Amino acid sequence: MRQLLLSAFAVISMWTASIVGASAADPLVVPHFADETKSAGIDSVYAGDWQYMVGGGVATFDCNDDGFPDMLLADGEGKAKFYRNASTRSGPLHFVEQASGLELNALTGAYPLDVDGDGITDIVLLRVGESVVMRGLGACKFERANEAWHFDGGDAWWTAFSATWERGNAWPTFALGSYIDREQEIEPWGHCTDNWLERPRLVDGKAERAFADPVVLKPSYCALSMLFTDWNRSGTPSLRVANDREYYRGGQEQLWHIDPGQPPALYTAADGWQPLKIWGMGIASYDLTGDGYPDYFITSMADNKLQTLATPAAAGVKPTYKDVAFPKGVTAQHPYDGGDPRPSTAWHTQFEDVNNDGLVDLFIAKGNVDQMPDFAAKDPNNLLLQGADGKFTEVGQQAGIDNNGVSRGAALVDFNLDGKLDLVVVNRRADAQVWRNVTDTDNHWLEFRLTQPGANRNAIGAWVEVRTDKGIMRREITVGGGHVSGQSGWWHFGLGAAAKAEMRVTWPDGTVGGWMPIAADSFYIVGPSAQPQAWSPG
Amino acid sequence: MNPLRPAIALAVAVLLVTGGPALAARPTPEEVELTWTQMVLLLTRHTATYSPPVASRTFAYLSVAAYEAVAAGSKDLQSIAGQLHGLTPGPQRDAGAAYDETVVLEATMAPVVKQMFDNTGPTGLRAFAAQEAKLRAATEEGIAPDVVTRSEAFGAAVAAHILDWAKDDGGATIVNMGFPPDYKLTPGPSHWVPTSAIIQQQTPLLPDWGKNRPFAMPVGLDCKVPPALPYSEDPSSAFYQQAKEVYDTKNHLTPDQAAIARFWSDDPMLSWTPPGHWISIVMQILQRDHVPLERSVDTLMRVSIAEADAFIGCWQIKYTYDLVRPLTYIRRVIDPKWETLITTPPFPEYDSGHSVSSAAAALVLTAIFGDHFAFDDNTGQPDGLNPRHFSDFWDAANQAGISRLYGGIHYRAAIENGLAQGRCIGAYAVSLKTWR
Repeated sequence: MRQLLLSAFAVISMWTASIVGASAADPLVVPHFADETKSAGIDSVYAGDWQYMVGGGVATFDCNDDGFPDMLLADGEGKAKFYRNASTRSGPLHFVEQASGLELNALTGAYPLDVDGDGITDIVLLRVGESVVMRGLGACKFERANEAWHFDGGDAWWTAFSATWERGNAWPTFALGSYIDREQEIEPWGHCTDNWLERPRLVDGKAERAFADPVVLKPSYCALSMLFTDWNRSGTPSLRVANDREYYRGGQEQLWHIDPGQPPALYTAADGWQPLKIWGMGIASYDLTGDGYPDYFITSMADNKLQTLATPAAAGVKPTYKDVAFPKGVTAQHPYDGGDPRPSTAWHTQFEDVNNDGLVDLFIAKGNVDQMPDFAAKDPNNLLLQGADGKFTEVGQQAGIDNNGVSRGAALVDFNLDGKLDLVVVNRRADAQVWRNVTDTDNHWLEFRLTQPGANRNAIGAWVEVRTDKGIMRREITVGGGHVSGQSGWWHFGLGAAAKAEMRVTWPDGTVGGWMPIAADSFYIVGPSAQPQAWSPG
Repeated sequence: MNPLRPAIALAVAVLLVTGGPALAARPTPEEVELTWTQMVLLLTRHTATYSPPVASRTFAYLSVAAYEAVAAGSKDLQSIAGQLHGLTPGPQRDAGAAYDETVVLEATMAPVVKQMFDNTGPTGLRAFAAQEAKLRAATEEGIAPDVVTRSEAFGAAVAAHILDWAKDDGGATIVNMGFPPDYKLTPGPSHWVPTSAIIQQQTPLLPDWGKNRPFAMPVGLDCKVPPALPYSEDPSSAFYQQAKEVYDTKNHLTPDQAAIARFWSDDPMLSWTPPGHWISIVMQILQRDHVPLERSVDTLMRVSIAEADAFIGCWQIKYTYDLVRPLTYIRRVIDPKWETLITTPPFPEYDSGHSVSSAAAALVLTAIFGDHFAFDDNTGQPDGLNPRHFSDFWDAANQAGISRLYGGIHYRAAIENGLAQGRCIGAYAVSLKTWR
């Protein structure tokens, strides 16, 4: 029905369109994306049979310090491909494949982060088999660091990852999620393999710059996404895990206490946690309601979930969530075009502001698991624009990203540093695709990187607030979530009509910085003890 | 380890998984029968179209195929062709020729499972292929090639005959997982409305399932139930009182009542489903008591037919009365914030499918195994549910029925009248003449 309404009322120009959404006085600016896969030089397929029916990630990160996000694409049973970003500012997307040391086979996905705090991005490669942490050497070269950092990559079907720096530690804590026991050919159901928590190794009570032996996160329920997130703003992130109900027995979605010095422990019904059994595949988080707490979008098959705290925080924060996907318009249950009435299958998801109107939007990668006849065969990716009333409107077709592919991982990232978020999507058994955001809009934007001295160089776990005359936008700085796809580098806010704004950072140690003025349409490097430093490409 | 897999089938399972030579013994026909039935339980849980009615249909066709294959070579069993609607006499064995019952059953059941689950996911297809390959190799080991060829050909012919019979019963094609997008809800407060925000479930499940060709019960509804109570929101009315009973009961559940509700919840895609639960019970008994082949195929066939007819009969009632669920009524009239303990199924309330099917199964099983036949049910153990002990089959059926009131999804009338309807329907499966 919504699609019919859109067709009837949408006014589409060559590059820009506006849709009269739920709030008639505030038309949506429909973004436009130009498919530049061929001209950009991307040639990558996520290939493989049963063991690659999930996974298919992409990692974006800047490994040569030019500010432009580079890219690693998982190729499944083939070797991963690294692409250096050779785009120019505001120009067409252009990538150059080159050797980096990351070209391992059997990749399901990857997450970049600065593990050792040397200012050079490292990257965790999730694989079917042994996962590998690769130390960045600079100039987009990487070397295996499992042994040097005592990282145990195990031997499993690795499908999820998240990282945090537990308070006081100079070394990160990793959570690795795994899927099905690959040896169980006839009865794989009920045979989820263990998820692991890899914490810093302690000597005399102090965390070393290496990992301790893994701790099993039992029970494990075939995780397809993990996210360390400070759901209750306690200053101590918990671990949210999205699990695939297809394969677990007696399982559910999970939230783990990961308290410093304590063994991991599940949140239970006594805490307010309520069972949810879905085909959990991806996690995105953002403070949509403006209450200061993250809301979570969980992808699944058929109806997706948008969870917000069930009771106001003032009543005491409990991990009890209500699903508001239906009233918010983000169930994204079946394809919005093509007429296929069968349910969708959703994977990577990400909240970002794709039209810079100051309202965060939602991207969902879609694709049939593998010719499952009861689910949509042509399952276009979703782009849901948020309106002023908090409801979302599907514009994937108008925006030009309705690829009807079999997508898995993805990333919304500003490849050409024009302040507008571009899109890369990994497809199973089909070419990966990149789109350049060519929206013609006067809306403003802000991009920034956080940096702090010592460990946790990029301030994972920080909260960033941006204030304009329209209000405060707020997001948590995380590593993890989505579907086997991680990003590091610039964080983005759309500012709408605001030519200036203020930003404030709550650093991972709990220090709350002051409001800092920033100019719109700018890049900033933000540290804890100085004003934001403007940055320009080149 | 799945507790459903019994000691007798464990050897088969190990052989299938390992493929190693450690096991010298070939699987017995009973093991083949139970291994494929177990696979159907697994695939039922993991195939999107497998709601309870659909599952009951597949169990029925699979078990009839197994029965007919065995009966054709049995001195004691006779074909049930002519006793089931539309089932004509099937292939016959060559007189005097040798057949291997293990090979026959393997060749009969595998194609039926394959066809019935051709829409399952990649993992299901992979599991089926692996089991078929390994089981076939194991069953043929040490058997003369001509016997293998003859037995496989016969089994395949039986499978083809059954699948041909199945294709036009009305239940072969499931569109949109059983939720017809163009279905129009019946207006009025007494009628069913969606109970969740899941978009696909804004129309009810399989509204035409009651029109399917039944197996043993007469065409056209013979096992009627009293009309649903007249709808009323008057607190003094019987309808309000039965809703109030659901409300009060659920709000003051004992721990055991809550455990009972969860034990029999049997949600599609999270369990074997209600008919699968009863198949699971039968399998546990067959394995525990080492029931021989002919009695085993007879038992599974009768129970499966009773289940399938129960869902057809129940669905006729459901879409005759199209009654509103307790969740809707209670929120509308009594307490807008009320929640059920278990998930309300997405179709009309009256009567209770679990009650109808449980009574039908209990009637059949009591006829076969007798009164006071005690057993333990481990069906839910893999999902963390404790086993429950039952003094007899009616103990289990009655508990399955009342579990729906504890769970908050059915009024008492739907349970009591559903149990009565199940007894009526099950009698047709009991009356089948199978033994010579």
